[in-house]
Amino acid sequence: MLKISGIHKTFNPGTVNEVHALRGVDLTIEEGSFVVVLGMNGSGKSTLLNAVAGSFRVDEGSIKLDDRDVTKWPEHRRAAMIGRVFQNPFSGTAPDMSIAENFAMAASRGKTRGLGWALSKGLMDALRDRVATLKMGLEDRLDNAIGSLSGGQRQALTLLMASWIKPALLLLDEHTAALDPKSADQVIELSKEVIEKDGLTTLMVTHSMQQAVNLGDRIIMMHRGQIAHDFRGAEKKRLRAEDLLDCFEEIRRREQLDESAAAMLEQLYI
Amino acid sequence: MTLLLGAFTIGLILSLLAMGVYVSFRIFDVPDITTDGSITLGAAIAAVLLVNGYNPLVATAAAAVGGAVAGSLTGVLHTRFKINALLSGILVMTALYSVNLHVMGRSNIPLMQARTLTSYSEKAGQWLIGANEFNLFGWRVGAGDAAVLVMALLAAIIVGYALYLFFRTNMGTAMRATGNNAQMIRALGANVERNIILGLALSNGLVALSGALLAQYQGFADAQMGIGMVVWGLASVIIGEALVGGSSLGLTIIGTILGSVLFRLLVAIALRWGLNPNDLKLITALFVFAALVLPRLMRQMKARPRSAA
Repeated sequence: MLKISGIHKTFNPGTVNEVHALRGVDLTIEEGSFVVVLGMNGSGKSTLLNAVAGSFRVDEGSIKLDDRDVTKWPEHRRAAMIGRVFQNPFSGTAPDMSIAENFAMAASRGKTRGLGWALSKGLMDALRDRVATLKMGLEDRLDNAIGSLSGGQRQALTLLMASWIKPALLLLDEHTAALDPKSADQVIELSKEVIEKDGLTTLMVTHSMQQAVNLGDRIIMMHRGQIAHDFRGAEKKRLRAEDLLDCFEEIRRREQLDESAAAMLEQLYI
Repeated sequence: MTLLLGAFTIGLILSLLAMGVYVSFRIFDVPDITTDGSITLGAAIAAVLLVNGYNPLVATAAAAVGGAVAGSLTGVLHTRFKINALLSGILVMTALYSVNLHVMGRSNIPLMQARTLTSYSEKAGQWLIGANEFNLFGWRVGAGDAAVLVMALLAAIIVGYALYLFFRTNMGTAMRATGNNAQMIRALGANVERNIILGLALSNGLVALSGALLAQYQGFADAQMGIGMVVWGLASVIIGEALVGGSSLGLTIIGTILGSVLFRLLVAIALRWGLNPNDLKLITALFVFAALVLPRLMRQMKARPRSAA
């Protein structure tokens, strides 16, 4: 279970580039829940994910994962409980190392890495079986450098790596945004399968309304560093892509109104 | 023949330095200039201990530990204090110059009278062969020289193999990933900062080990002996990559050893042909420059006809 309470984050405080990216986000995600995060560019959805992953420390508030307060934990320590897939297919794998070596590192996620052989026979056998289920023909190429694969293949492997040891929380950061439509569909199917198989608690950021309505059991809509809408249960099931678009449109209209109102006030008083 | 043997021996001893540079430059992607200081530090520590009658093995091991400490200092400057890697190396290298003079107490320590690994190997060689010289395919070879060469070869093979095995363990694999994709290995729970510190310690430990053996071979330690050694190591690594072609871990380590020996041979031949020794560093630098730039130029040359068509 993930419990986020009142987190704030300001980047570059006190400079012209100051951005108040998170403005008091409260969010509780139950064990086994699959939450999709939507939002426009700059709404803070990726920042929220990175705050949970520990890429930076939040200024205020607390983050609890499985009843442990991880607010002050560095990123690599939180990694023991968190599996991650990044937007960029190049981010989640070490390109010059083999597929097998990449998985060996995933198999020791969060554990002390000692002087045991990275590529044990047990791991290789399990890996061959698991990779074969992808039906990409990669099970015979486990010694090849992972950098020689396509973005879709790399993203599929990163997903398997992130869930090789069952994580308390799976973070997917627009992990299909950089892929062609066919690869994106494959990776989404695989994500569904992986999450359902182990009942993983998941937080997924996406741009795609279609993905948001098709996947998960809850939708969070972020706006200006806060949660603007929270659809869950029966309401989430009824939701269509058009409804989400309407939501966005409404937010945008409110925004424009604010801006023109501000301009009017400025003209009147300055 | 003695000249050739000498070139081989120095090439093998310096292959430890080249492997150290391989670790920092290729595996961690950090051009680590600490190397110039830590090779002298290794020579200085070993020389002082040897002159004071310590066992050569103890002296050599102490030198490696000293180098590792210097390397971890560079790592701490880089990771904890967020100083650019190159600058961290320059700072530690500069500081080491004074440290080395303090360790030695003067700028040069001769080891002619001391019992060293070299003198032990020479004696062992003469005892094994039973003569001062022997006949090798028609060449007259000093038994002592041959024994030292065998010692250097053993050192290179043992260190190279140990390095290969280490980088295939869980810890070593995570260290390689640190240089390859830090974001990825951090997300998989590795402490990237600690890995970089460990890696630079390992790298400079090897460099200092090389310095200790070099001092014992040439019979002195000198405060100036480290100048330009990082470029020497780079040249060896680059030649090695060209020699073996592949990019697999085992091949590149073997290539680094071969590269170091070949580079030393080329230098020996060039000097024999009348190259001014003062020009050596200039030519080494030009060589590394060419080796770094040529691959890109070649790619551009290959790409051009296609874009024109």
